[in-house]
Amino acid sequence: MTDIAAYREAARAWLSGKVEEFGREARRGLSPAEDLALARRYMAAKYDAGYSGISWPKEHGGQGLGPIEKLTFESEEILHGFGTEYFSISLGMPVPIMLRYLPDGWKQERARAALRGEEIWCQLFSEPAAGSDLAGLRTRAVQDGEGGDWTLNGQKLWTSWAHLSDYGVIIARSDPTVAKHRGLTYFWVDMRAPGVTVRPVRLAAGGAHVNEVYFDDVRIPDSQRLGPVGGGFGVAMETLIIERYSATNPAAGGPSIAKAVADASAITRRGRPLIEDGRVRERIARSFAMQTALAAIHRQALLSLEAGVQPGPEGAIHKLVSMRSRQRLSEFMIDLHGAEGIRTTNGANTKEDWVASWISAPTGRIAGGADEMLLNTIAERILGLPQDHRPDKGVPFNQIPA
Amino acid sequence: MASGVPYVSVLIDEGQLQISEEAHRLLGAQYSGEKLKELLEAKGEFDRDLWKLMAEQGWTALSYPENYGGLGLGLMEQGLIAEACGSFAIGVPALTSSFLVGQALLKFGSEEQKDQWIPRLAAGDAVGCVAFGESAEAVPDRPACAYDGSALNGTKPAVTAGGIADVAIVLAQAAEGPVLVLVDLSASGIARETIDSFDNSRCVAGLTFSGAQAEVLPLSSQAPDAARQLLRLHALMVAFEQVGGARKMLTAARDYAITRKAFGQPIGAFQSVKHRIAEDYVAVELARANAIHATTRAAEPDFGRFAAAARISATEAYDMVSRDAVQTHGGIGVTWEADLHLHQRRARSLAIEAGGLMFWEDELIDELREDAR
Repeated sequence: MTDIAAYREAARAWLSGKVEEFGREARRGLSPAEDLALARRYMAAKYDAGYSGISWPKEHGGQGLGPIEKLTFESEEILHGFGTEYFSISLGMPVPIMLRYLPDGWKQERARAALRGEEIWCQLFSEPAAGSDLAGLRTRAVQDGEGGDWTLNGQKLWTSWAHLSDYGVIIARSDPTVAKHRGLTYFWVDMRAPGVTVRPVRLAAGGAHVNEVYFDDVRIPDSQRLGPVGGGFGVAMETLIIERYSATNPAAGGPSIAKAVADASAITRRGRPLIEDGRVRERIARSFAMQTALAAIHRQALLSLEAGVQPGPEGAIHKLVSMRSRQRLSEFMIDLHGAEGIRTTNGANTKEDWVASWISAPTGRIAGGADEMLLNTIAERILGLPQDHRPDKGVPFNQIPA
Repeated sequence: MASGVPYVSVLIDEGQLQISEEAHRLLGAQYSGEKLKELLEAKGEFDRDLWKLMAEQGWTALSYPENYGGLGLGLMEQGLIAEACGSFAIGVPALTSSFLVGQALLKFGSEEQKDQWIPRLAAGDAVGCVAFGESAEAVPDRPACAYDGSALNGTKPAVTAGGIADVAIVLAQAAEGPVLVLVDLSASGIARETIDSFDNSRCVAGLTFSGAQAEVLPLSSQAPDAARQLLRLHALMVAFEQVGGARKMLTAARDYAITRKAFGQPIGAFQSVKHRIAEDYVAVELARANAIHATTRAAEPDFGRFAAAARISATEAYDMVSRDAVQTHGGIGVTWEADLHLHQRRARSLAIEAGGLMFWEDELIDELREDAR
């Protein structure tokens, strides 16, 4: 058995011992507060077992292993529906970036608390007028002279888990007189500081894990700055690529092909199971072919990592293809149920329920890189096609028409 | 498969990479769009010079055991050669069709049958073809072509390489049920009618047997299943060919979009063009991943679904990318002179010759349905 196979076996054994207490079934019917509390206990257990911060350096409270071990663990963990979603952004981006930039001491305490699920960090990037075009953001950071404190004013939007967060990382405009990418500076903030207001935004699918966050004269010391003044965009890009390789699911969090086959076999129309209808066969077969390919690509990426080679554009391909495929298949599977397809199930999981999968799928095609941006990335970075015409290129931010 | 998809795949190793690069180099040096277009207009002709060269390179012998004059390499190597051939839309239908006859003999043939034919197939001295399908059925449950224990009667209407082959494996109906039979096409009682087609170098012909001597492949007693096993291998090799062609068309579209200017900028700067090419890239990558993955499952009981997945995604990709590449080129793309139509044609001829999309979607769903039972 290879080291990785042994690692996987051990992880699988540990995880299977936690399913009853913390897994999908254990979470069913819990209130939001109870669910979060259970999820925090799972994180603490995971920390004690040595499966937290797998690829982080030991001096940051991690295990000092590589991305391959991390992906191996996650690909097993993802199967059981543990409540890791509250912590995935926190541990994926804000905490690692803060660990890179802050001096020793306080940051290690925060990292430990974050790994144990006791504290949560959020990432305050997007704004009402700055989504895909992040560098167009308008939240202002004004400094009281060189080396002095900063004052933040503005609004962030779509901030996941901000309502549960203790801390956040934020990018703001420190100089509106230079080109948009150059006038940004990056900080960490205490989400309980005076002037910070968090308001949950209810999404079309009903859930409210994203928020709008207002900053009204929020004072922060210069020691909370990460990276140089005016260097915030670079730190933001660095933040976004930390988690380039995370465990993926070819069904993009939607129901499996096996469920599609089972449902289409159980429903009859004109006296025969729908799985015998060519239109149904085509849809499911194409989805299967797509998912098999994504799984194979993911496996290749893992092998590349194992061989010390940085994988290429797998992430962009995966996100682009899997989410919209989930959306289409879910629409179609609702059709198969006829008029009854309208039924919703309270608390249904996107992996088990076509309606829950369908209603939340649009979020997945927008958040974390919209389809159109992914296509640009593939076209420009991989295929070498020219960049779009950008009229705001090089123009001082305060001269760009709003 | 209870849930999800098994995670098994391979990276191409150094030796395989070398085979692939060498094949591309060699075929690139031989490529002539003019020659391919002459073949388009000549019914029943194929690129004999290239076939000879392929045999000299050992490509015809790749997958056979050494005692039959083969090189004993695997499906992956065979696939990579097919991929390279696909990228040049070669005028040789025999590489895949002969490979399949060899596989039929290895799996289901007698020792004498193997001894008689495999060394000749491996050396490229004989061309093989497979004749399973009848009209819209890729594997008919009850073939109209009849076998009485020694002679074959009936017609296989469209056999790839049927116009040039020396030997055929035919799915025929015997008294006890369907069987696979081996036919020496130089025997009497065989009429070939090469079909005028949109891709003439495939040498697709109708084969009519009137009392032609044929012998059964003794291990093919479950003939429809045996034919399906062979078709899976066939589909996988064709998938590699399709991926190669699709990748070539993707490159052509990308290159043209960078150099061609309109409205003061390269057309590739317009999102309607660049996004289409990005989508094409994704389709090619998915198809290639499936083809490579399927080679690793050939010995497994679930090979059928992965061969089907490879075939489905490769057919989608080649059709889509060749269609889009022509569109990206605008007017020049639809001319006889630009070689794009070679791929536009090949995308369709490959799409229908080893069982079409409907066949493979059915194969796949039938297998997934079995899982659920």
